[in-house]
Amino acid sequence: MKIGITTTVPIEVLYAAGYQVVDLNNIFISSKDYLRYIEIAERDGFPKSLCAWIKGIYGACIENNIKEVVGVIEGDCSNTKALVEVLKSKGIKIYPFSYPTKHTLDEVKKSIDDFINQFNVSKQEVERVRNKLNIGRKLAKEIDRLTVEFKATGFENHLYQISLSDFNGDVDGFINILKQKVEEIKNRKPKVKKLKLAYIGVPPMTGDLYDFVEGFDAQIIYNEVQREFAFPRFDMVKDIYEQYYYYTYPYSLQYRLEEIKKQLKERDIDGVIHYTQAFCYRAIDDIIIKSQLEVPVLNIEGDKLNCLDARTKIRIEAFLDMLKDLKGD
Amino acid sequence: MIKLRILGIDLGSRFVKVALMENGKIVEKFKVSTVKFYKEYCRYEKKLLVDFKRLGIDKFDVGVSTGYGRNNVDIENFKIINELKAHAYGAIYQTGLKNFILLDVGGQDVKVIRVEKGILTDLDLNDKCAASCGRFLENMAKILEVSLDELSSFYENPVELNSTCAVFSESELIGKIAEGVPFERLCAGVNFSLYNRLRPLLTKFKGRTLLLSGGVAKNKALLEYLKRDYDEVKVLDNPEYNGAFGCCFYAIKSKGGLK
Repeated sequence: MKIGITTTVPIEVLYAAGYQVVDLNNIFISSKDYLRYIEIAERDGFPKSLCAWIKGIYGACIENNIKEVVGVIEGDCSNTKALVEVLKSKGIKIYPFSYPTKHTLDEVKKSIDDFINQFNVSKQEVERVRNKLNIGRKLAKEIDRLTVEFKATGFENHLYQISLSDFNGDVDGFINILKQKVEEIKNRKPKVKKLKLAYIGVPPMTGDLYDFVEGFDAQIIYNEVQREFAFPRFDMVKDIYEQYYYYTYPYSLQYRLEEIKKQLKERDIDGVIHYTQAFCYRAIDDIIIKSQLEVPVLNIEGDKLNCLDARTKIRIEAFLDMLKDLKGD
Repeated sequence: MIKLRILGIDLGSRFVKVALMENGKIVEKFKVSTVKFYKEYCRYEKKLLVDFKRLGIDKFDVGVSTGYGRNNVDIENFKIINELKAHAYGAIYQTGLKNFILLDVGGQDVKVIRVEKGILTDLDLNDKCAASCGRFLENMAKILEVSLDELSSFYENPVELNSTCAVFSESELIGKIAEGVPFERLCAGVNFSLYNRLRPLLTKFKGRTLLLSGGVAKNKALLEYLKRDYDEVKVLDNPEYNGAFGCCFYAIKSKGGLK
């Protein structure tokens, strides 16, 4: 039985309950029909001036006949809340999940326990699944490390970390893919680039960004949110409660920024690309992000298209060009 | 400090601007009309060979050029940088600011750039049409039989000039002269129509401070109109030479000497 998710949620619970988890974002963006998914949503009344992800998720859900969905009603955007209401009205069964506004371990525990109860699974079973998923997380962390060594590309880093939001609906199968990928990447010669870039913000609609920057002697070696989806601190937490407590993405910007700053320093980042989605409230975050990060930040915006437009390309090129000057020869 | 003599050349559509930097300071600057520059000071053999002696430049260690069209600015032994970057560096050099929006209006080109933390993060250029540029003002000044300087001093009560095309604007202006519209309002109308054409380019560049460069930065009326949109509008000390200064400053920055 398939269950759709709209963002990262404790999938340990869902797999323990015997579901096949499907991240609707991944279905949407990896489909050649992605524009049709948006079109379906707009025909059903979703406004033109709305985040393409929300519309894409909706279209993907309807078209792929997903009957059950986990709706994140707190800790994600208010558009998701409304999306969940529309899906409910279409007869889709919704399981609510909340990332508590009050970011304490106690509140996170309450929320996850509530989620566990909805699916009627045991805590032991959830932990057993978590241990299994951790095998994949360890491999994703290795790919992240290999990216810093310039062996894995920015796109591979993005892809193999983001995919851990649902393990592509097949935990064993995806762990095998990851194992093979790690072996393959390990044996590569590093392709060292002059500029080390960080990508922060929601995952991009424009996946060609990664290859594009690599054409300018630069590489993205840190993908903020994608890395969070892969739970890089899985080996430092004692249970599922702590795991979702230390997850940064749904909590305050300040909490996210602490981890971002740490990573920028550790990875010796030269410049940051902050991606925001057109019509998303997170574009406002850019004010704080720019004021708090010491390295130069380029804010780019994506809308419906899955490739960079000419103007954004020129902006990125100019940004990288000047970053290179700063770095010297 | 680097003890280098750096020559920066900005090849514009109307003038070639030359600046010489020594020990991080501009020591000389002058401009030559573009046509004269290509005709009298250059030869072309796959690259531009410039007769620097004739141009009055003694010797220099590093040459950096910028301007319109890669082939036109490809001077032998010079490093070419793109114009937007040259202007970013020029404005950083001239103001010491690291965060700003710069509007550069030249003879045929309009550029708007946003610089944050000393790095270019956004840009836009005019395309298809140059009716928002200096050449338009020159043509209109000719029709009004007035100097550019005088033309630019009138901004109040502008007569409405609506043509999109700069050539049609000329006949529109002649029509207004025939109607007996006062000279001051005609001048103001010319300036205001320039501003109106620049506005769409600026919509994406909201901010508190706007820097102005390029030959048209000397237009006082434009400055008055832009003050309506920004808290502060600053004309660079040497607006025409910003690109050339930027070339020089780039040479220092890229050497890692003045980080």
